[in-house]
Amino acid sequence: MSSSIREEVLRHLQTTALLQPALHKQTHAPSPTEIDHTLYRAYTRTPHDVGGEPDIPIEYQEKEEEVWELNTFATCECLAWRGVWTAEERRRKQNVDVGQTAYLGMPYYGRWLMTAARILVDKQYVTLTELHNKLHELKARVAAGQGLGEYLPPNNK
Amino acid sequence: MSHKPEWDRAHHAKIATGIGDPQCFKGMAGAPKFKEGDRVRIKDLPDLFYTRTMTYTRGATGTIVKLVYESPAAEDEAFGNEDHVEWFYSIVFTQKELWPEYSDTFSNDTLETEIPERYLEKA
Repeated sequence: MSSSIREEVLRHLQTTALLQPALHKQTHAPSPTEIDHTLYRAYTRTPHDVGGEPDIPIEYQEKEEEVWELNTFATCECLAWRGVWTAEERRRKQNVDVGQTAYLGMPYYGRWLMTAARILVDKQYVTLTELHNKLHELKARVAAGQGLGEYLPPNNK
Repeated sequence: MSHKPEWDRAHHAKIATGIGDPQCFKGMAGAPKFKEGDRVRIKDLPDLFYTRTMTYTRGATGTIVKLVYESPAAEDEAFGNEDHVEWFYSIVFTQKELWPEYSDTFSNDTLETEIPERYLEKA
C-alpha cells in the first residue's frame, strides 16, 4: 500500500476526531455509571427537522438549487413512487440514521443522495459490494481523466 | 436457493397510487377519542429511535382546532409499518405555554402543529 494512501487514512482519522459533537464536557469513554437519565436521553436523542432546539444564530444564505440537487430530489421521489420507501422512512434514514455530526455537517441534498444509496442496499436492490465496486470504478475513471458524465467533463475536452 | 428476506417492496405505492397519502388511510382509524375544542396535554412518550413529536410540546397543554387526517404514526411509518392507523389532530398552543421565558408583550402569540392521538391525554 502506497504512502499517499497511508497519509490520507491517517488524516481521515484525525479529521474524524475533530468532528465529534461538542457536548461541553468530557465525554471520552465515560464509565456506564456516569451515564444518568439526563445524559442517556441526550445521547439517544434523534436529530430531526422539527425545530425547537437551542443553537447559535447562523446567517441565512439564499442559494439556488443545483442540477445534482434537483436530480437527487427526483431520484428520491421516484423511489417513493415505485414503493421503495415512504417519506417517513426517508426522513428517518437521512436525519436520524446518519447521526448528529453528519446531520449538521453534510449538505442537505448530500444527505438525500447518501440515503437513496442506503435504502437500495438496505432493501437489497443492490449489494454493498456492488456499490463499493461501482464507486471504485468511478474513482478510477476520474483519476484517469475520463470525467464523470455531465458533472465532470473529461480532461482532454 | 435465495436466503434473502422477502417483503412486498411496493406495498405502500399499491395502496396510495391515484389516491394520495394520507388520503389512502381514510376511514381506517376508527372513532376519534377527541373532538375540536378539547383541551389536551401532550404525553412525554419515549423518543428512542424515531419521533416527529417536538420535544418542546411534551407536557404542554393546548386546544384541538381540527381533526386533520388519519395516518400511521411517524414512529411506525419510519420503519415501513402501516398497519396501525390513527387520528392526527391540529393543536394550538400559546407560545407562553411552550416557552416560559416568552415575552409578555407577545402573550397572544400561538403555535399550531399536528400530533397523533397516542400522544394526547385529556387536560
